[in-house]
Amino acid sequence: MAKAKNPVSNRIRKLRFEHDEMTQADLAARIGVSRQTLNAIEGGKYSPSLEVAFRIARVFHKPLEEVFAFDGGA
Amino acid sequence: MSASFEEKSVWIQVVSLVVALGGYLVAAFWMARAGVTELAAYMPLFVGAVVVQVILLIVGHTAAAIVQKPEDADERDRIIAWRAEARSSWILAIGALAAVSMLAMNVETVWVAHVLIVALFVSTLIGYVLQMIDYRRGF
Repeated sequence: MAKAKNPVSNRIRKLRFEHDEMTQADLAARIGVSRQTLNAIEGGKYSPSLEVAFRIARVFHKPLEEVFAFDGGA
Repeated sequence: MSASFEEKSVWIQVVSLVVALGGYLVAAFWMARAGVTELAAYMPLFVGAVVVQVILLIVGHTAAAIVQKPEDADERDRIIAWRAEARSSWILAIGALAAVSMLAMNVETVWVAHVLIVALFVSTLIGYVLQMIDYRRGF
């Protein structure tokens, strides 16, 4: 059975580059996860908890919906 | 392959489990085939397997810590561990149930012990494999 597409998308990669090309390791350290976990979030392989999502948005000084989007149904 | 310390830890645990407990099970199989039915005869082998497993875990984690600074498990690591446990612990439960049933039927204790150890081995191994899949494939 094929794995369902993750309905949560994000703009983390773009935002990192807009913020002085922040590395994954830097962002991961600031939000308290491993670099591999941030990589999984960025690549859509893992949907973070609400707390981590808010931490990421706070680092970029953006509201949550400018970082994450829900592309699933109702 | 870029793996977090926790993912590397899973690999180390798989190797130590397969080498130590897997080795025990192979040796125990041949002992059972040779007609050894005394539980005490298996004890030195089992204790040896546990000691080997502990040594492999220490050496593996020390080597991994030298290569990469250890990090605490984060939320993804914890969820992956929970998911794997939820999907593999039923095997151990069935093994325990089978062992109790065997005791009720007066089966020799050595066979009860074998069933419990096989269930523990399979349940743990499948749990680790499920963790590896979640780490690589995502969920």
